[in-house]
Amino acid sequence: MAPGGYFGRALVVDAGSGAAHALPLPEAVLRAYIGGVGLGTWLLHRLAPEGADPLAPAAPLAFVFSPLVGTPLTTSAKFAVLAKSPLTGMLTDSLASSGFAIAGKLTGHDAIVVTGACDRPAALLVDGSGARLEDAADLWGLTAADATRRLRERLGRGWKVAAIGPAGERGVRYATISHDGRHAGRGGLGAVLGAKRVKAVAVRAATKVAPADPRAVLAAARDLRARSFGPATAKYREAGTLANLLAFNAIATLPARNFQEASFAEAPRLAAEDLSRMRQVARHGCASCTIGCEHIYAAPGNRAVRVEYENVFALGPLCGVSDPDAVLAASARCDELGLDTISAGGTIAWAMECAERGLIDAPWLRFGDAAALLRAIDQIGAREGIGDLLAEGSRRAAGRVGRGSLAFAPQVKGLELPGYEPRTMQAMALGLAVNARGADHNRSGAYEADLSGDHDRLAGGPAHAAAAVETEDRAAVMDSLILCKFLRGVFADPFGEWAALLSAVTGWRADGAELRRAGRRIVLAKRLFNLREGWRPQDDWLPERLLTEPVGLASGRTAALTPERLRAMIDAYYALRGLDGQGLPGQADLEDLLLPGPAPALE
Amino acid sequence: MPSAAGIVLAGGRSSRMGTPKAALEWHGSTLLRRTVGILSRATGGPVVVVRAPGQALPALPPQTEVVDDPREGKGPVQGLAAGLAALAERADVAFVSSTDLPFLHPAFVRRVLRAVADGADVGLPVARGYPQPLAAAYRTTLAALAGRLVAQGRLRPAFLFDECEVARLDEAALRADPVVAALDPGLESVVNVNDPAGYAAARARPAPEVTIQLFGPMAGAAGRAQASRGPRAARAATVAGAAAAAGIELAGHVVAAVNGDQITRDGETPLATGDTVFFLAADAGG
Ligand code: SF4
Repeated sequence: MAPGGYFGRALVVDAGSGAAHALPLPEAVLRAYIGGVGLGTWLLHRLAPEGADPLAPAAPLAFVFSPLVGTPLTTSAKFAVLAKSPLTGMLTDSLASSGFAIAGKLTGHDAIVVTGACDRPAALLVDGSGARLEDAADLWGLTAADATRRLRERLGRGWKVAAIGPAGERGVRYATISHDGRHAGRGGLGAVLGAKRVKAVAVRAATKVAPADPRAVLAAARDLRARSFGPATAKYREAGTLANLLAFNAIATLPARNFQEASFAEAPRLAAEDLSRMRQVARHGCASCTIGCEHIYAAPGNRAVRVEYENVFALGPLCGVSDPDAVLAASARCDELGLDTISAGGTIAWAMECAERGLIDAPWLRFGDAAALLRAIDQIGAREGIGDLLAEGSRRAAGRVGRGSLAFAPQVKGLELPGYEPRTMQAMALGLAVNARGADHNRSGAYEADLSGDHDRLAGGPAHAAAAVETEDRAAVMDSLILCKFLRGVFADPFGEWAALLSAVTGWRADGAELRRAGRRIVLAKRLFNLREGWRPQDDWLPERLLTEPVGLASGRTAALTPERLRAMIDAYYALRGLDGQGLPGQADLEDLLLPGPAPALE
Repeated sequence: MPSAAGIVLAGGRSSRMGTPKAALEWHGSTLLRRTVGILSRATGGPVVVVRAPGQALPALPPQTEVVDDPREGKGPVQGLAAGLAALAERADVAFVSSTDLPFLHPAFVRRVLRAVADGADVGLPVARGYPQPLAAAYRTTLAALAGRLVAQGRLRPAFLFDECEVARLDEAALRADPVVAALDPGLESVVNVNDPAGYAAARARPAPEVTIQLFGPMAGAAGRAQASRGPRAARAATVAGAAAAAGIELAGHVVAAVNGDQITRDGETPLATGDTVFFLAADAGG
């Protein structure tokens, strides 16, 4: 019998043949990896053929649920999607929320893994009677939202759908998978599903799953709900993540014009503080969430768009664009096409700089030109003109353009940088450099240290390495339980409190130390997967621009991050993680990972 | 630019004041805490407090380094030698200050430090009628010379100046810096409080004029009054004072950044005329 909150099995579907089988998930694995991102990492180790191209049929893509899904615990209705990324060639793990998580889990599986590829566009349906593929030729070419609408009309009540947009169909390497308007956004998961010709995955609940101690879970849910209305979540409730924009601008952590600057004079035009007054039309939340951080704004063309800091940063200041209409329209267009806004904005900003320097033949592509931004997005979605190059992401595109353009491609491991300026947030600089997913602000929360007031954010050192390890471990556990990271501020003893939640659901007697170990294990397992797929020590690094060009602060000081300082922080991080000087784990750690096959090694 | 640091000489006898100057209150902080904070802000480097052996000090930021004068009552050159020696490995130049300068302005400190960056061993302001060796910049390699002078019993700063290159900064030179001219036109940075009357006069002066700006939830993005947002003027000598003026609490999920520089939750972080204090959410998830 599976522990509370679990079914103890994953459904593995071959999209080529339509055949499906249940993969038993031993309790030891569930306890070691919890669910979500952790369990997904273990599944990729188990099911992904070594060295397979991410867009090849053999490459698996896993939708992974978690023990907390389906409980009344606030923010728990989330699922993880994992695959080898076509953008980075390494592991990517994205989260999305809402009804798909609950219905997907209640198909009776802790994960649904898709392998193989269909001959023709198809929709994968999973419910109590198992998995089947349906023709979806009529959905091909539609936006994810339209495809979802049409599929749900066809299937009837109770079905929840995750779908790709045109960008995923065309293999844009940063295409998303979206559900309910939210995206499993980073690393090109939509392209992986598109390569399998799976336009959509639809799930319908068929069973129930009980927690081990329902009364304890209910009491914890009430307590968390009350805490979720407190000051720790005020920013998300009242202003949404866009509140970062003006504050980050003030402290020179808002990257602008492809990281040439760390603040943007026209930022106030895009600020939540004013924009919300004029354009906000609604506030929503994911299923089971009491915070409700989604602030919906009116975009041109009668469209409503969910506005997040990262979309506005990447499609606004990063591209030098300050017209709110243009930024909202660009964001809405990325949603329709199914594009990761951070990678789209980062790649376009890089191309704007290339055009400015005469490195590419696109004289129309200028910083600050809203029409050019929208045109570039459309071309990427269609893989037309320069869009075909930009659909590859900034690292690959720089590889083709050459002429020094890699030095200012805003990426780590191929994943475009989020809106946290590394030179003025040096704990975050480390987090971005070493994280398995690449430049990422959701798997490394080291910016918390930079904004804590406890660290010198302009002079990274050993204390910053400790903070990067701690926040990465916490993120790994939250992403595996799964709880929304916007809830993190309400926990005074995070690992201990999470262990209590997990124990109430599963019946285990987990404590904080066990969850700490789980976080560390998950981070290490991701690193191991990357190593298996060709990671090299030089992949844990930052773009040359960030290590050679200082940026100015309003105080008059300049902030610089030198290669020596970054090296010292990385060495300290490796040491704290028990890795050797090249970032490789020792044998004792490997044995704890419960992974199949021999340990990978550097070639 | 050479790397800079701060030294506060806190060990003087305060005999005319009759009570230790370091602990005197000024607009919500102590004179020593304020001086340490101003030097930390202006130099961006470590700050060393040199005290008399065993001297009790008011609360200081945890990263503040405290060294003891080897012997009490030997005067500023001995304290200077101890402070410079403590910093020699980590900084090229140190601004050395007494603990009794409530109006010391970061712009003044930066201007004086620049004299050493320009090649001198000492940047010595000559302002408000006197040379100001305890509001001056010293190259840290002077530690050995200062130590030698102490050993020889030559305890006045003038002996040190005789043996190194000193850039004297008169009032015109100091005011030629546009930031100093704008924010400390009277060169009040060098005004010290020596006796109860001087202290009373300093306390009677209002706190510095600063600007406050609130972001995110504090700014009321969800529709609070327009008046609660946007930059506004206030009088505050500390970040806590500015928070109080803005009607917010600096705790938990709220942090401050002075002039967009370092982030702090320390309410005693000193403010000086012309500063802008940003209050923002510490929760920066995006
Ligand atoms: S806080 Fe926001 S992202 Fe997190 S679960 Fe709630 S609505 Fe979703």
